[in-house]
Amino acid sequence: MRAHRGIALATTGLAAALALAGCATDPADEEGALTVYVGRDEELVGPLIERFEEESGIDVEARYAATPELTALLLEEGEQTPAQVFLSQDAGALGALTDAGLAAEIPAELADLIPEGFTSQDGSWIGVTGRARVIAYDGEQLAEDDVPDTVDALTGEEWAGQVAFAPGNASFQSFITALRVLEGEDAAAEWVEGIAANDPELTENNLASLDLVNNGQVQLGLINHYYWFRQAAEVGADEMRAQLKFLPGDPGGIVNVTGAAILEGAADDPDARAFVEFLVSEEAQRYFVEETFEYPLLPGVDAPEGLPAIETLVNPGLDLSDLDSVEESQRLLADNGLI
Amino acid sequence: MSRLEVRDLTVGYEGGPVLHAVDVEVPHGELLAIVGPSGCGKTTLLRTIAGLLRAQSGEIRIGHRMVTTHGIHLAPEKRRIGWVPQDAALFPHLTVAENVAFGMLAGRGSSRAARRAAKSDEVRRLLDLVDLGPLANRAPGQLSGGQAQRVALARALAAGPELVLLDEPFGALDPMLRADLRASVRELLRAEGVTGILVTHDQAEALSIADHVAVLRGGEVLQLGTPEEVYQVPATPWVAGFVGDAVFLPGVLHGDEVATSIGRLRAVPVTDAAGLAPADGDDVTVLIRPEELRVRPAGSGAAAEAAPDGAAARAACAALEGIVTDVEYTGHDAMLAVSLADGMRLRARVTASGLVPRGTAVRLAVAGAVLAYRPEPA
Amino acid sequence: MTAQVATPSPRRPWGLIAASLVAVALAAIPVVHLVVRVVSADPAELAAVFERPRIPMLVGNSVLLATSVTATAVALGVPSAFLLARTRLRWRGLWAVLAALPLAMPSYLAAYGWLAWQPSMKGFWAAWLVLSFVSVPYVTLPVAAALRIGGTGLDDVARTLGRGPLGSFMLGTWPQIRPAVLAGGLLVALYTLSDFGGVALFRFPVLTTAIQQAYSASFSRDEAAVLAVLLVTLALLVVVGEQFARGRAARRIQAAPTAGRRRMTPLGRWAVPGTALLALVPAVAVVVPVAVLVSRVLTAETLREFDPANLASAIGNTVLLSAGGAVVAVALALPIGVLAARHRGRIVRAVESTGYLALGLPGIVVGLSLVFFSLSVVPALYQTALVLAFGYGVLFMPKAIGSIRAATGQVPTSLEDVSRTLGNSRARTWLTVTARLARPGIFAAAMLAAVSAMKELPATLMLRPTGTDTLAVELWQRTDVSAYGAAAPYAVALLLVAAVPAFLLSDARAGREATREAIAPDTRAGREANREVIA
Repeated sequence: MRAHRGIALATTGLAAALALAGCATDPADEEGALTVYVGRDEELVGPLIERFEEESGIDVEARYAATPELTALLLEEGEQTPAQVFLSQDAGALGALTDAGLAAEIPAELADLIPEGFTSQDGSWIGVTGRARVIAYDGEQLAEDDVPDTVDALTGEEWAGQVAFAPGNASFQSFITALRVLEGEDAAAEWVEGIAANDPELTENNLASLDLVNNGQVQLGLINHYYWFRQAAEVGADEMRAQLKFLPGDPGGIVNVTGAAILEGAADDPDARAFVEFLVSEEAQRYFVEETFEYPLLPGVDAPEGLPAIETLVNPGLDLSDLDSVEESQRLLADNGLI
Repeated sequence: MSRLEVRDLTVGYEGGPVLHAVDVEVPHGELLAIVGPSGCGKTTLLRTIAGLLRAQSGEIRIGHRMVTTHGIHLAPEKRRIGWVPQDAALFPHLTVAENVAFGMLAGRGSSRAARRAAKSDEVRRLLDLVDLGPLANRAPGQLSGGQAQRVALARALAAGPELVLLDEPFGALDPMLRADLRASVRELLRAEGVTGILVTHDQAEALSIADHVAVLRGGEVLQLGTPEEVYQVPATPWVAGFVGDAVFLPGVLHGDEVATSIGRLRAVPVTDAAGLAPADGDDVTVLIRPEELRVRPAGSGAAAEAAPDGAAARAACAALEGIVTDVEYTGHDAMLAVSLADGMRLRARVTASGLVPRGTAVRLAVAGAVLAYRPEPA
Repeated sequence: MTAQVATPSPRRPWGLIAASLVAVALAAIPVVHLVVRVVSADPAELAAVFERPRIPMLVGNSVLLATSVTATAVALGVPSAFLLARTRLRWRGLWAVLAALPLAMPSYLAAYGWLAWQPSMKGFWAAWLVLSFVSVPYVTLPVAAALRIGGTGLDDVARTLGRGPLGSFMLGTWPQIRPAVLAGGLLVALYTLSDFGGVALFRFPVLTTAIQQAYSASFSRDEAAVLAVLLVTLALLVVVGEQFARGRAARRIQAAPTAGRRRMTPLGRWAVPGTALLALVPAVAVVVPVAVLVSRVLTAETLREFDPANLASAIGNTVLLSAGGAVVAVALALPIGVLAARHRGRIVRAVESTGYLALGLPGIVVGLSLVFFSLSVVPALYQTALVLAFGYGVLFMPKAIGSIRAATGQVPTSLEDVSRTLGNSRARTWLTVTARLARPGIFAAAMLAAVSAMKELPATLMLRPTGTDTLAVELWQRTDVSAYGAAAPYAVALLLVAAVPAFLLSDARAGREATREAIAPDTRAGREANREVIA
């Protein structure tokens, strides 16, 4: 009987400990804490949130996970979500929330801070930073001039088996959409067919594509520019075998945005509003520039040093609203066996 | 009054009934042996009495308490019975004394309580009763098979049961040990005044230790009686063959005699379960126990005169001649196989003094009356 | 008296069935959630998913990987188990622990380590290598346990009948260990089907990676659900196949009584290759990736970010949460395991197989379903440690079933009969006799659930209390920003923490043997009969 009592005691104790652990680490129960779902890395966003807490006196409970997981989580939670703000790595995720009616409108005085084209048109979310699509190339095998100025060239035989990209990645799919808008459906279909036939290296995400270039497994990778800077911070810029080539004006060089949404339940929450306001403040924008090498979206804040100006990357023929037709892009990729 | 009463008990698994309308009764303090071939339902009967299986219909009464009746099934833990399974089933995590003590805890069994109770006088008394006092602190794994069975019995008795059920408890033991343990179990049950039921497939065991024997076949009780009744007046030829060696001959009944290939024998017709007895002129099956056949060397000429006892001489006996073709010698007696002139083979049991070598020509005689049965339907 | 044991109890154990159904209902939450989602989704959208040219390839890859990994794990695990349980091996204890160690290795961590060393690794062969070696213990542990119970008497008879060593092994020993091989193979196959981390890092496209893409690009839970239903279907085939094979094995074993004596084979000239095999598995699964990651610690710049307090709290959270998960998993698996050990029939089969299904699903799908469940049933507890521990329990309950079933099956029913007739109720008998004797197996089940919970990531990310980090979460946060150096301490810590239950698992197996020796020789016969029927 001693054994059973022991087990019973242990079980009760464990339950109590778990409950305690839950309470101790869940001050969201406390009135006033702002719960933010962060679809970006804690290492990057954590310090920024700390600054916000210090300056505003508002406690923030940040829940970190990848953007897709958090989006699925928010959609599953629906109106019961404990989150007040969602900081997303990608505009598509914010669009999905809006479609599900879960995003509250961003107050106009905030929404207007970000130039048109880099934020939602209906004010359902707000753009925070921009990241450019680039070609990462193997600096040991190629000189910058060897790297094409346009993705059109990548279907050529000389790049067979040498191009890595993540077909399931939202920013890659935005690029496909841009391709369709700028060059027409037929040309886009031809490109996708061509690249699919060109023995590409398909990866799960941008980072994996960059790693392949860095390791010399492939010569080219289609990624977002800031992954390179993140990795350079880890291993040192001198150690980076991969180099970046920007593609101004090309569909392959478009700018995607990260953004934030206030969730429906927090529509009138001043803390949520304060947090979003902080994200597009000069201080936060500068933080992103310095720490993540992303493009600031607030006019007047300088782009990271050494990067082409954001305006040069934007193709005048492309309206951001055109990028909503992601589903057609996915169908195109699916038909060619890429996703 | 009866200590155990089973009435019209039917038990079945999904495949159909295993016991049909079984009636059994055991008086207080006596031992019933249930015998039958494998699969006859004897273990099922025992488990149903224990409450480990549910009956479909019928009644079981232990003492004054109805434990099974229509719609009522008393849980095994409430039946106050002792259970001694074939494998002894000692709790491997408890010592010998703790195993016995576990039996005394009356529904509050636990390892710890057993450890505490193991030191009680009652446990010591029970262990002494089964002659295992010195082994009290052994682990079950260190016991021989016979010792384990005795511990199992002591454990069953520890609960002060009204009824002890033994499921082939001697099955796995060697013959010497078996006989020994058999006797001590009988003695113990008698000493404790406990009613017992013993399941066995060994008819000799059943006849030797039980007060009553129930013969089971195909889920039906063919006969319930004292060992003598079952052996001497078996209810059917099958029972006769199951509980002992038997010689069967076809014959025709004529009054108090039966005509067989070995001559006319004095016969007693047996009434079967359906109440039918063979009538004059009916074909019958004649049962002769091998010990009822008298064997004399042929050519002694005056078998009748030389007969050692008058009973044999007075018997209306038929005499036949044959050759001994085989001898099974067991020490206290011997079984002879005798080939008759017409090719028929009979088995006869003789005492050691009547032993004859193989090849001897002998003369057979039947002593006493034989039993005549209506032939069993094929 | 096998006939008596084999005979089904005429009375349906309704209490046990009810408890099992509750457990199964909880375990089926992810599957039910999926089916509901698929049924309520737009049919045209579903059809579009099925029409994709890539789908047959994804299904094919999932099947290919699951079969090849399972076959490899069996091919490596059975000889390993034989070496550990039946040969005169030097340093047996050490090898036993090493054989269990890969359990502590999350597939993503093993893949990550290998990739850091050999960046060119990719595709089927890379995924096959890492997943196979990481899952070998799922076969080695139960098979070694079965070998320790079984005897070599039949092998000896076969030898006298002119069979060679291998032939007599197949004739005598194989039928005894076949159920354990099948049970282990089942876990490996389901684990492989559900794995995302390993295959994703090696860029081998399977159903789980496609599910992840559905969430990450289209943010479409319907599309993900359709793909997940395909995965569940594969899992169902695996589970039913295993049950079918097990049923056949059980019948065959019943016909052949096992002999109790066990003979230890001297290794002789097999000493070197045998030892090499035992060393190979932990080397590939654990030593290489860990060595590579540790070497990264020494070179990386991000090491300075290392925060011991943070690590300590992550360890504490991991231990507490996984312990809670193990308790829940065992509580849920107990009725199912006991039911499967003691009873047969269609209900039992259905209950058992449903219990296993969720194991074939990737964590993100299970995590979302538990989000839905906890929000609808206990919204107040949503994103608390209790719900996360409960989630672990639901996730890893299937891994506990097998061990509990085997341990319960080894307790002779005659012991329960005796206890009942001595006045103890069914429940008390279960507690004081059956559970007491099955304790090592129940403990092993808890350890298996605990080690799985420690490595779990996707469901943890969704269900954990906001701000509570486990080692797996910390590790993910660092590998995701490719901070090798910062990740390494957490990787090593996770491995060390998870090595504790893995170690106990190898130890628990040995402990179980000790208990077994204590069982009387006569009762052993009864127990053997018991096991045969149930196996």
